[in-house]
Amino acid sequence: MDRNINRFRRSHELFARASEVIPCGIYGHASPAAALPGAFPYYAERALGSRYWDVDGNEYIDYMCGYGPVVLGHQDPRIEEAAARQQRDALCVNHPAAVMVELAECLVEMVDFSAWAVFGKNGSDMTTWCVQVAREHTQRRKILKVAGAYHGIDPWCTPGHAGLIPEDRTHIHEFTWNDPDSFDRLLARFRGEVAGVIMTPFHHPVFKPSEMPAPGFWAHIEAACRREGIVLILDDIRAGFRLDLRGSHRVFGFEPDLICFCKAIANGHALSAALGRRELRLAASRVFLTGSYWNSPPAMAAALACLKILRAEDVPAKLRATGEALMQGLVQTGAKHGYALQPSGPPAVPFLTFVEDASSRRQQRFCAEVALRGAFLHPHHNWFISAAHGPEDVRQTLAMADEAFGVLRGEGL
Amino acid sequence: MIDPTDPKVLCRLYLNAVLPCLADLTHEDPAARAIGADVDASIVLCVLGGPAVTLHWRHGEIAWAAGFGPKPSVILAFLSDRHLNAFFDGKKWAAPLPLWGGWRVGLLKRFSALAARLEQVMDGAPEVIENADGRRLHARLTLITVGLGLQALAQGDQAVRRILGTLPPGLASFSIAGESKARVWFDHGSPGQQAGWGDPPRRPDVIVQFADIGVAYDVMREQIDTLAAVGAGRIRVDGLVPLADGLNFAMERLRVYLKR
Repeated sequence: MDRNINRFRRSHELFARASEVIPCGIYGHASPAAALPGAFPYYAERALGSRYWDVDGNEYIDYMCGYGPVVLGHQDPRIEEAAARQQRDALCVNHPAAVMVELAECLVEMVDFSAWAVFGKNGSDMTTWCVQVAREHTQRRKILKVAGAYHGIDPWCTPGHAGLIPEDRTHIHEFTWNDPDSFDRLLARFRGEVAGVIMTPFHHPVFKPSEMPAPGFWAHIEAACRREGIVLILDDIRAGFRLDLRGSHRVFGFEPDLICFCKAIANGHALSAALGRRELRLAASRVFLTGSYWNSPPAMAAALACLKILRAEDVPAKLRATGEALMQGLVQTGAKHGYALQPSGPPAVPFLTFVEDASSRRQQRFCAEVALRGAFLHPHHNWFISAAHGPEDVRQTLAMADEAFGVLRGEGL
Repeated sequence: MIDPTDPKVLCRLYLNAVLPCLADLTHEDPAARAIGADVDASIVLCVLGGPAVTLHWRHGEIAWAAGFGPKPSVILAFLSDRHLNAFFDGKKWAAPLPLWGGWRVGLLKRFSALAARLEQVMDGAPEVIENADGRRLHARLTLITVGLGLQALAQGDQAVRRILGTLPPGLASFSIAGESKARVWFDHGSPGQQAGWGDPPRRPDVIVQFADIGVAYDVMREQIDTLAAVGAGRIRVDGLVPLADGLNFAMERLRVYLKR
């Protein structure tokens, strides 16, 4: 903390003021307590392309991309123009705009199993609504989810501990990722009661390496859901449109009944979406869905523009290539200093941890040293690649990592 | 998580988390030490058919030990966990049964006085927290209770067990910078979910350190936003963050049990 006092002077001044009037100073995933207090900036001022600048003027290559939403790069002029044009016509009006229909048509055409789409603002809006749709469709109560998976902040799924009552999760049951037996045990225990299974395409818990699905795991889940009449909900909020524009299920060879998108849909504009099979249309029409800003047209215009660019430029392929170059480079650079590193998750949504670092201290020091040199790598949360990241970003990041590994080695970590 | 409390857990909290504070109290507080300056005795508190602890009282200072110590001067017995809980809650009808040493009226009176002093400090009575020494004592004793209490909570409280089930295993240490022996630890995942006071048995996986006694006092009195304090560097968290975060919520359960 002392070492960074001058580097983050403005951040700390703002945080001191914030702590007087805002619980936690900064709450939620951006809380300094969740990252590296004193070693990371607390407030950002501006962002452009693959970079952002904190309020003290420090520049970072941004591998968090606003924790995911920025997929084309910060302030992409094509998206900003589409949103601004729409906003000049209407920001918040009494009715949806035509762009909502266009966007729904676009999504339904892209995601081939889907027949309809609805929109919200955040991921939680969609996951919670999809759970309700599953219950309405099946007239059952139980929801199965993977232990440690994040699906939002509503009481049925929040990773927080406060403000909950046991009844919030009476009908929520957890099984273990990549463990079909633990899933089957729940199915057997609650046969005929399970409304839905909600899962992310790969497992991306915080504070741990990501886990890809084992061969046959998704097929097992899908087959069981079909057999038992259970609604399979894919929470594709974090990975959606980064792995495959048709939905991440395409990468892993299965088909859900409902799919939730959010982060990469509108390049940073607030929008989420849920899409579903025709058979679920009636249930979807019955479950009430609304919010003060949910019909706001500019974010939908941004999404429409974003999806067209993602498709026209085959952005998932670019993200994969950039992510692979970054991860391979980091592993090789770490090895040069004698560190064994574990890359995890798909290259477009990568994460990197040290082997044999149970306390995460090595990871935390490494990310702190890299941040000091100008790249933002989170120590506890998976990273995000955007289309704005190029070879020069990767080259610079690897040079910073090389120095950071050297510092760690010098400290005996 | 709003869950009912378990009398068995509360009983273990009194015996294994609150009573050990007598050691720190008599070491740090001249008033408490003076109560038993010339005492040389041992007192057993036990639940019939249940747990027991022994307090060795010598030259004014208390040493706490789990179990039934040899040749106690006094044995104070309780019929049940609820009986002991009622006694510690101040219910007059819940006096313990003096199985042995009941005739040592002087010793028992002095022990009552010491217990009253402990209660006064732990409750943060106005006359205690009006000065820096009292606030320091209150913060130290609360930290010790909270740390040692994790074991009883981890073993028996359903809400805490639910939280712990989501946490990675590891050893967490909680301490106050600049304060000697103001350190407690909890080894999540160890056999019996061990907790202790003093230096931990190995390097902690996460260290939570309060910058000074003032911060510790504010935290223990719930007068500070802990996440804001972490961001401001007043509480240092080094290492396995999710373990510290989860244990923080587990510790909140202690307040529900002890109504503090």
